[in-house]
Amino acid sequence: MLNFFNPIVALLLQDALRTRFDLMRDAAANPDLSKFLVIGALLFIIGVAGVLTRRNIIVIFMSIELILNAANLNFIAFSRYLHEMGSVNAAAGQIFTVFVIVVAAAEAAIGLGIVIALYRNKETIWVDEIDLLKW
Amino acid sequence: MQKYIWLVPLLPLIGAAINGLLGRKLRFSERLIGGIAVGSVALSFLISVAAIYSYGFGGHAEWPKPYVTSQDGFSFNWIPGGMVSINQGIQEHMAVEVHKKAEEQLAAMTPEERAQRPAILIGVAETPRFALLNIEWSYQLDPLSSIFMLIVTGVGLCIFVFATGYMHGEAGFYRFFAYMGLFMFAMLVLVMGSNFLMMFVGWEGVGLCSYLLIGYYFDRQEAANASRKAFITNRVGDFGFALAIFGIIATFGSAQYTEVFEQAKSFPIELLGNWGILSWIALGLFVGACGKSAQLPLHVWLPDAMAGPTPVSALIHAATMVTAGLYMVTRTNVIFQHSQTMLLVVALVGAATAIFAATIGITQNDIKKVLAYSTVSQLGFMFMACGVGAFVIAIFHVMTHAFFKALMFLGAGSVIHGMHHEQDMRRMGGLKKYMPYTYWTFFAGWLAICGIIPFSGFWSKDEILWNAASTTYIPLGWIVWLVGTIAATCTAFYMTRLMAMTFWGKERFLAGAGGEADEAHASAYDKGLAPHDATRPSAGDRPRHEPGEHVGPVHEDVAHHVATHGAHEDSGHGHGAHIPHESPPSMWVPLAVLAVLAVIGGFVGIGPAFKPVTGTEHPGGRLHIVNWLNPIIWNPLTREFNTAEGGHEAPATEAEHTELVAGEFVQAPYRDTGFNLAHSVNNATHNHLATEWIFIIISLIVAGIGILLGFLFYVWRPQLAGIWAQRLRPLYNASYNKYWVDELYGLTITRRTMDVARGVFAFDSKLVDGIVNGLAWLSRQLSRIVGGVDKYLVDGLVNTVAAFIARLMSPLFRAAQTGFTQNYALVMVLGLMVAVVVFFARDIITAFGK
Repeated sequence: MLNFFNPIVALLLQDALRTRFDLMRDAAANPDLSKFLVIGALLFIIGVAGVLTRRNIIVIFMSIELILNAANLNFIAFSRYLHEMGSVNAAAGQIFTVFVIVVAAAEAAIGLGIVIALYRNKETIWVDEIDLLKW
Repeated sequence: MQKYIWLVPLLPLIGAAINGLLGRKLRFSERLIGGIAVGSVALSFLISVAAIYSYGFGGHAEWPKPYVTSQDGFSFNWIPGGMVSINQGIQEHMAVEVHKKAEEQLAAMTPEERAQRPAILIGVAETPRFALLNIEWSYQLDPLSSIFMLIVTGVGLCIFVFATGYMHGEAGFYRFFAYMGLFMFAMLVLVMGSNFLMMFVGWEGVGLCSYLLIGYYFDRQEAANASRKAFITNRVGDFGFALAIFGIIATFGSAQYTEVFEQAKSFPIELLGNWGILSWIALGLFVGACGKSAQLPLHVWLPDAMAGPTPVSALIHAATMVTAGLYMVTRTNVIFQHSQTMLLVVALVGAATAIFAATIGITQNDIKKVLAYSTVSQLGFMFMACGVGAFVIAIFHVMTHAFFKALMFLGAGSVIHGMHHEQDMRRMGGLKKYMPYTYWTFFAGWLAICGIIPFSGFWSKDEILWNAASTTYIPLGWIVWLVGTIAATCTAFYMTRLMAMTFWGKERFLAGAGGEADEAHASAYDKGLAPHDATRPSAGDRPRHEPGEHVGPVHEDVAHHVATHGAHEDSGHGHGAHIPHESPPSMWVPLAVLAVLAVIGGFVGIGPAFKPVTGTEHPGGRLHIVNWLNPIIWNPLTREFNTAEGGHEAPATEAEHTELVAGEFVQAPYRDTGFNLAHSVNNATHNHLATEWIFIIISLIVAGIGILLGFLFYVWRPQLAGIWAQRLRPLYNASYNKYWVDELYGLTITRRTMDVARGVFAFDSKLVDGIVNGLAWLSRQLSRIVGGVDKYLVDGLVNTVAAFIARLMSPLFRAAQTGFTQNYALVMVLGLMVAVVVFFARDIITAFGK
C-alpha cells in the first residue's frame, strides 16, 4: 500500500507530478514541429480549395493569401525548429517570411489593380464569366 | 657598332612599311615620303659605315677575320630543323669515285710527277653521318658582305635622293618608295645573311621587288610584259639555285656559310673531266647567278626591264640586284674553285656575254637600252674574272661598275627628265650646253667605263683582263682575254657613240618627231595597235606631270626659243619640240657624288703593276680591296682560306705573280692548263713588270681605238655611221635586232609553252569539263525523277495522314480549352497531386500500408 503521507513517498510523488506538469506546460508553450506543419497544410488546403471553387475573384485573392501564409507558417516553424537543433542560420526562415509578405503585398496591389481594370472592361469580377484564355 | 648591323636591313623595311601602308591612306606629301625613304636608307648607310669601320679598323679589330658572324647581336632560330641524314645524297658515291680516279692517275705518274702532285684529300667518312639542321636568322659581317653593304646603302642613298626629284609628280610616289625600301631590305638580307637560305630569301625578295618596280607603270602593256618576263626568266635561275641549296644541305648537313665552307675545304678538287657533287652544286649556283645577273642564256629580261622608272634601272638593274650573282659566286668561291669545269664554264659564259651584249649595245638607239646592254656586258666581265679565279677583282669591278653605271643611269634619267620624256638618242644631241652638270658627271662616267687610266673602270677592267691572260685556273685563258679585249673596245665605242649622240653634235631635239620618236609609240605602231601620232602625249617611261604643267625652271626660256624657232607645238608634254633644261639639285647632287666616286673609286684597287710608283703590290693596307677581301677567298694551293695580309699565302693570282717574278712555274693545283698568254709573254720579256705593263698598254690602246672610232663615226664624220651600217647590213641587222634571241625564245619556248597550254586547256575544257558537265546533266535528270516521287508519292502520303489525324483529334483538344482560369488551376493542382503521389509513393505506402 502506498503511504502518501510517507515523506519520502510524498516527495517522490510530488517530484513525479511536478515533472509531468512541467512537461505538459512546456508542451503547451513549445508545440513540436508537426503541429505547425499540420496547421500549415490545413491552411494550404483551405486556400487551394478556395482558389478552385470560389467564383468571386476577391475571395480567390484571399485564398491565395491563405496559401502564402501557410508557407510563411512553415518557414517560421522550421526556423524555430532549426534554432532548437542548434543551427546558426535559423534566422533565414524568418527573413524569407518577410520577403514573402512583401511580395504578397505587391502581388495583392497588382492583382487588385488588374481586378479594377477587368471590372471596368467587363463589368464583372466573377471568374466564370471571364474565359479570355480560351484559344 | 657591329652588334647593331641587324638594324641595317630593318630600317629600310620600316620606312617601306610606313610609306606603303600609310602613305596613301594618310595622304603623305611627297616631301614626307621622300624624307622617310631617304632617311631610313641614310641611317642604314651610317650604321653600315660605323659597323664596318669598327670591324675592320677599330681599336681592337682582329685581322684577318674570315667569316665573323655577328650572331651575338641579333639572331634567332629561324627554321628549327631536325636530324638530317647526309648519307642519303650522292656525296659518298661521288667522292669515292673521284678518289678512285685520282688514285688511278697517281699510279700512272712518274715518281717526279708524284712528288709534285696536288694534294688530294678525302674529306668524306664512309660511315653514315647525321647532322642537326638548324637554320638561324642572323646577319654576318665579313669583308665581302661589308663591301656589298656599302654599295647597296651608299649608292642606294644617292639613287633614293635622285628619285625624289625624278619621280616628282607621280601619283604612285608612295608606292614607288615603298617598293624601293622593300628592295633595299631584301638586297641587304641577301648580302648580309649568314646562310644560304637567307640568301635565297633575299634573292627571291629582290626578284619580287624587281618585278614590282619594272611593272611600276602597270597600265602600260610593255611594262607589264617586261615585269613578267623578268620574273619568269629569273624563275629558271632560281630553280637552279634552289637545287644547289638542296644539294648543299644534303651534302654538308648545314646551310650556314661557315660550316659548309669548313667542310668543303677538304673535298677533293674536281679537275676538268671529273664531275663530282661540288660541280653539280656549282652548276646549280651558276644557273641561279645567270638568271639574276643576266648572263647569256637568261639575259633577255634585263634590257626589257628598262620599262621601269630610271632610278629603278640604276639601283636594281645596274648597281645592286644584278650583281647578286657575283656576290653568290664569290661567296661560294670555295665550291667553285673545287670544280675546274665550272670555272671554265663561268669564264666562257662571262666572256660570251661580254662580247654579245657589247655588240648589241653598238646599234641601239634608246639611251637606256644602250646602258642596259652595257650592264649585261660588264656583268659578263665580272663573271669572266670569277671564272679565271680572280674573285676579288670581280668584286672590285662590281664596286666600280656600281659607281659609274649608277652614275650613267641617273645621268640618263636626268637627260630623259630634261628632254621631257624623250629616250631616243637620235632626237637629242648638243645637250652639253643645256645640261652642264649632267654632262660633266656623265663625262666622268664615260671615261671610267672606257677604261682611261686614272678613272675607276680602268683599274678593275685591266685587272680582269690581266688575270684572264695569266690564269692558271683554267685552260683557254687567252681566248677569254681576247674576247674581253674586243668587248672592251666595243664598250669604248658604244659609250662614245652615246656621248656623241646625246651631248655633242647637232641639236636635233627641235626637229619634229620622226618615225621612231618613241619606242612605245613605235612598237604600238608596228603592231598596228595605235596610229603613230607624234604629238600625242605618251605614257612612256616617264614621270607624268599634270597636263599643261611645265616642269623645271626654264619656262620663259622655252617660250623664248619657241618664239624664235617656231617649232613648238605642244607646250607642256608629249612629242612636240622641247628645249631641254637642267635637272633640279636633288637630281644633279647625287650625280656629282657618284661622279666623284667613279673618278676616285678605283684607287682602292691599284694593281701590282704600279709597284714602282706605290712601293708595294697592294698599296693602302686593308683599304686595298685585295687585302680586304683576302680572308674570304679560298686558296687552292694551301687548301685554306687566306689568312695573312698580303703575305706569302696571298691569293692564287698573287702567288702567280711571285712565281712569274721568279721566272719558274710552280705546280698549280689545277695542273698544266695549256697555253698561257701571260706566261708566254713573260718568257719573251723575262721581266714580270714589263709583261704586266704590256697588257695595261694593250687595254689602254683598245680603249683609245674604241673612243677614236666613236669620234670618227659620230663626231667627225657622222655620215660614216650610215654608210657602214649599209655596208655591214647583215651584221648591223643582227645587232640591231639583238641577234633575234627574243624571237628564238619566242619560237622555241614561249610559243611551244603556249601550245602546250592550249592543248591542256582543250583537254580540260573538252574532256574534263565534258565529264563533269555530263555528270551534272545526269544528276539533273535523276533529281527530276526523285523530285516527282517526292512531290506526289511521299508528300501525298504525309498530307493524307496529317489531314486525317487533324480532323479526328481536333474536337477533343478544342474541348479541353475552356478558357476558365479555375479549370487550368484545377489541372495544375491535380498535376501536383499526381506528382506528389509519384514522388512520395513509397512514403505513402509506408504511412497507410500498415
